[in-house]
Amino acid sequence: MFKILKLIALLVSILIVKPTLAQQAKPVFPGSAKGVLRDTAHNYTLKSATVSVYKLADSSLLSYQISNNYGEFSFKNLPVGTSLQLEVSHVSYQTLRKKFTIPSDKNAIDLHTLIINPKDITLNEVTVTVPPITMNGDTLEFNAAAFKLDSNAVVEDLLRKIPNITLWGDGLITVNGREIKSVLVNGKPFFGGDTKVATQNIAKNALEKIQVYNTIKDKTNPLDSTLTMNLKLKKGKEIGYFGKISAGYGTDNRFDGDLSFNMFSPKMQLAIVGASNNVNKSLNNINTLMTNSTFKGIGTNSDYQSDFRASGINRANAGGVSFTYNFIEKPNWELRNTLTSTYFIQDRNSDVVSNTQTTTSINTNDKIYEQSNNRNRFESTNQNFDAKYELIKRNKNLTLSQNFQKNSGENTGETLRNARNAEGMLTSTNNTLSQGNFDNTSFNFLANYHLSQDWLKPRRKFKGINITYGLRVDDSQNENSNLTEFKSFTNAASDQRFDRRYDKNINTLNQQFDVEFPNLRSIFFGDKRLGGIDFAFKNQLNFNNRKDDNQVEDLNGNTNTYQRNTYLTNKLETNRIDETPGITFTKTINKSLSNRYSKNLSFNFAPKQTFIFQDNKSQKSFQNLNRTYTRFLPDAFVNYSNYQFGEHLKNYRLSYNTKIRIPNIDQLAPLIDSTNLYSIQRGNLNLREAVDREISLSTNHYDQTNKNTLNYNLSLTAGFTNDNIVDSTFIDDLNRRTIFLTNANGRKYINFYGDIRKAIKFKASELQLSLSSQINNDQNPGFTNNAFAFSKNLNTNSDLKVNYTYKDYLAIAVSQNYGTYQSKQEAFNTEYTGVNMASTISSSYNFSKRLTLRSNITYNRSTSSNANDINFTIWNANLLYRFLKGNNAEIKLAALDILHQNTSVINYGGNNSFTIGTRNVLQQYFMATLSYYPKQFGKKPVKK
Amino acid sequence: MLKHTLSFIILFFAAGNISAQITKVDSSEMVTLRIDPESARGAKVSEIFEEVKFIPLETTKESLFGSIDHLELTKNCFVIYDHDTKAVLIFNKNGKFKAKVNSSKLNESDEKDKQAFYGFKLIKTNETELIRIASGKKYYLFDLEGKLTKKYLREMKDSKENHFKFADSITSIAPFHVSRDGKDSTFHEIAILNNKKEVALYFPLEFDRFKTDQYIGSGNPITDSHLKNELFYIRYYDYNIYRIKPKSLSLAYRIIFPANNSVPKDFLTNPDYKNKRIEYFQKNPTQIYGISNPYLIGYNLYLKANTWGWNLDSKTALIHNLQTGALTSIKNLEADSLSQFLPVTDGGSFTDFYNHGFHLYEDEYLYTSYSSLAMFSFKDSSVTRNIKYDPLLSKYFETQNKKSNPVIIQLKPKKN
Repeated sequence: MFKILKLIALLVSILIVKPTLAQQAKPVFPGSAKGVLRDTAHNYTLKSATVSVYKLADSSLLSYQISNNYGEFSFKNLPVGTSLQLEVSHVSYQTLRKKFTIPSDKNAIDLHTLIINPKDITLNEVTVTVPPITMNGDTLEFNAAAFKLDSNAVVEDLLRKIPNITLWGDGLITVNGREIKSVLVNGKPFFGGDTKVATQNIAKNALEKIQVYNTIKDKTNPLDSTLTMNLKLKKGKEIGYFGKISAGYGTDNRFDGDLSFNMFSPKMQLAIVGASNNVNKSLNNINTLMTNSTFKGIGTNSDYQSDFRASGINRANAGGVSFTYNFIEKPNWELRNTLTSTYFIQDRNSDVVSNTQTTTSINTNDKIYEQSNNRNRFESTNQNFDAKYELIKRNKNLTLSQNFQKNSGENTGETLRNARNAEGMLTSTNNTLSQGNFDNTSFNFLANYHLSQDWLKPRRKFKGINITYGLRVDDSQNENSNLTEFKSFTNAASDQRFDRRYDKNINTLNQQFDVEFPNLRSIFFGDKRLGGIDFAFKNQLNFNNRKDDNQVEDLNGNTNTYQRNTYLTNKLETNRIDETPGITFTKTINKSLSNRYSKNLSFNFAPKQTFIFQDNKSQKSFQNLNRTYTRFLPDAFVNYSNYQFGEHLKNYRLSYNTKIRIPNIDQLAPLIDSTNLYSIQRGNLNLREAVDREISLSTNHYDQTNKNTLNYNLSLTAGFTNDNIVDSTFIDDLNRRTIFLTNANGRKYINFYGDIRKAIKFKASELQLSLSSQINNDQNPGFTNNAFAFSKNLNTNSDLKVNYTYKDYLAIAVSQNYGTYQSKQEAFNTEYTGVNMASTISSSYNFSKRLTLRSNITYNRSTSSNANDINFTIWNANLLYRFLKGNNAEIKLAALDILHQNTSVINYGGNNSFTIGTRNVLQQYFMATLSYYPKQFGKKPVKK
Repeated sequence: MLKHTLSFIILFFAAGNISAQITKVDSSEMVTLRIDPESARGAKVSEIFEEVKFIPLETTKESLFGSIDHLELTKNCFVIYDHDTKAVLIFNKNGKFKAKVNSSKLNESDEKDKQAFYGFKLIKTNETELIRIASGKKYYLFDLEGKLTKKYLREMKDSKENHFKFADSITSIAPFHVSRDGKDSTFHEIAILNNKKEVALYFPLEFDRFKTDQYIGSGNPITDSHLKNELFYIRYYDYNIYRIKPKSLSLAYRIIFPANNSVPKDFLTNPDYKNKRIEYFQKNPTQIYGISNPYLIGYNLYLKANTWGWNLDSKTALIHNLQTGALTSIKNLEADSLSQFLPVTDGGSFTDFYNHGFHLYEDEYLYTSYSSLAMFSFKDSSVTRNIKYDPLLSKYFETQNKKSNPVIIQLKPKKN
């Protein structure tokens, strides 16, 4: 531990020295300059013009501002005795330039009135320089050309340069403290809408300007709006491509390769991705690959790296194509017509080895210790094809989407388990060898049509309709063979051995019809107010048909042939119909005071009745059951929001909802497979449906001030379940468990979640703090050997993160994670507790625009009341060097798990048991990676 | 000649279909004004106004309100309607709060629901000044202390309540007038009545025109021109200002805006635009859909040219000098010592002036208002000037904050 602290201290001291040097290099200047802008042609002072100050010698931008309500500007922190140039620009005026020097004896200059001339329309002014920031109507525009950056910089580097913009550690962007809700490129979402794909790839030089504007919902309150950022590309640059191709090889035959290639034109976007590695980098979808293959410019960033916490060693190959076509080149919120489609294929190969010990209390005195050694190999191929068509026209909205998935593969597993009694005597062993293959396909289709009120026809009584149709077809095939051996050391007669083969087929067809008629008051009651109460009718109807066809064979030891197991071989068909009609009553009370506040209180009460019919037809007569359930399921919520102009927006929500869970045929009357004697599931025909009720209270606070904002979210949720379907477990002294299901009351839980976020911006650096915390407390009823017991669990998890960035050079993130668990069985007088914690410090330092060093160290500590502490530290570091003219090539040397300490700890508690152990994980390796980033914005110039 | 005759015949028949009594609009004294809002200039506040007074309205728990949606003056008081609190508030001329009338004051045992109301009318006679509030089926009269003095049933069919009376107290102007001829009814935008007798009828209209087409209003169509016995009248999608006198309605000013700010010539007649006018202005946000708030003060014609586009930068409120032809933009007036270096309207920065224009012109004074939020933000941006505010404003800035009640600005315009 001491070693680690020393190491962290060293790292921090190295990282801190440099910025102080850098600060000395840029002292605070004493000079100030002020003046007033005047349009003498129109005879008024000019507000909202951009005033910039440049150093005359190298024309570097020193500062800029927008003239105030009185046409005035006032600069501080300017150098004295140096030749400076002032530039004033405004969309309707000729650019004004004025040279000046702040006299060193006074440290101040008053430029008095500066006369600015309207643009002469006939005379096309040649603009030499563009202002950094302009107001164009209600749009705030940042002009890319005014910010001098490295030629390889991307949009993100530009965003960091703009004082009005904060780029958060988690990717969030705020402008003057307000959150950007969406980032568009030329008015359209860019490659799926992930901000990073746009900001970390698009070259700053391809960008004309960044536009920030409000999408105003309510004209009486200009502050109540969402902020949109549009990246406007230069003319001719709206067509192009970018991507990454990279390959790495390292010790222990570790390899890592990926490819991402993206093309775009005004209407079309096409992305092709592919990747292969054996270093536990997840490749789950196209977006993960796209966001982690971005070019990035010269900034500091933590990297996409191996997941050292993932269990086992995984080898994955993946590839995909994503295609978007906008039928309308410039879509807006009331006119949009888009087709998107993606195809993704993934091949995974994993090897997981784990060793665990589980301690279970069976009564007040006795415990059983189960040791388990597990080895699992898994190979699968997943294919996914999606398509979505969206048409939005003013008050109409049609969405059609489909999804096709195919998942096939095989697995082999070996589990060796043994059980000991409280004295440590071996009582039994239960070993399993299994092998199988699977082939699942699934098709999903969803159509939604939404018609809302036409605001141009407010008198129309029919306010709209919302219709959804869904179809889902699943087909799953599973073949398995299991070899199981149970040996008792106390009673040889109970020894058992099975060699069993399974062939399971499941076909499911699900259809869903939902229809909703909102705002019905005007149809039934015309103009009557009814105390401000409106209501809607909603009906949900669902048909589900499931066919199970299971063929099971056992090895006959005498003939050495497999013979059909007539008990487990079965055909079962289940039909289930869910019908839920309901009415929703709403009442909203608004209270607002112009320029002061706007408050809104809304009540929503939605009583609904659900009818469920379940019918089972089986070759086994005891499974021929049908059940009907009906229950009143009311939902309700109260929402209060308080918006104080220029101060904050607060939201409070109290909600209540009810759900039922009905027992399925495997819980009512299963076919009992007795191969796994450590867990035999039995049914219960008398099971009733479980009813969950939940109440939750949440609040959030959004700061609306411009500087150093503080935001938080808090929520508290409590629930209880009547007739919960619980296990009644019988454990014998050989750890043979038979699990019956029964209904029990008393399941309760209470969960808390909170997060808080604050940013403090200094002149050249920024500090961001965030804290999130979660506390879950629950009580679960259950029976063990006929004794009723509540298992009470308390889990907590807290995360504190501090991010510090200094200019372009340095980024440091410190985070602390602390988690605890506690499980208590009062009836057995047992209690299990444990703590998991991780302290991480990660940093990134740019030696130059081309050379970057990144490092992250995580110290992990895991303690448990009943076992020894486990401590280990993971330290990763890598050095990156970019070369070629456009920084298009990168060489990376990475050292991972330098201290060779990674162990994946298993440490968790459950109902009257806790488990500790380890599993195999990725460990130390070194790798060299070469990457190339092809990039082109705009058509290639034709060479003569 | 033939063309003229033909159109005359067509006119004659067309008119004959509706009513034989339609009176021709006299345009013999019409003045054509060419106004390009973009060319409007600025001026110092003191060049336009003789007097500027800021009157902060007292903020108490009882008097707190949103914004001024309607302002009327009595001899000693400001009477305000605030849509946020649905209340009428009465303040002294120095801004001291006097009384408030809200729906709780109408709530009587015989009324089932609380009756909200959406405005008021000031009834002035020689002796009394009363506030009349229409709510439900009744009129309620309140005095300036906020006390209910009288209530009586509204006669729904009688629209006389909306009539404008001329000084002779016999002639009145009836907007949206219905003439009955046996079973037939015909409708006119304006009728001049002399003791209920129809003297003249102007602009026939269809009874259900608001159901069959879209109309974008831009304020009260009838305003007091402040010349004796003269009213101004403005129509939908029309850039003319009409003058109503006791005996006739005439075209006073025909305003021509630049082509890119004007609706097409056939905008009212071409059926393609019918019921699609809002869409049209959405697509053409710089075109002026109507004018409003005309006041003739000396040689200065004040008016507001309204566009659909939401742009605080556009010069919508203008002063056209009839003598010199000079055009001044009110939002570009430059604060000077006369206004204690505070803007006289919140135009260009906040929304009150953009939405309402001037509230009224009475007894040589124009009135506007803006929020304390605006007031404090103006003060903050002129903090470097070290302005000495008058005692009223000094006290306001010391004791109040940006959540206090709005401030009334009283302006005395120059006449030349």
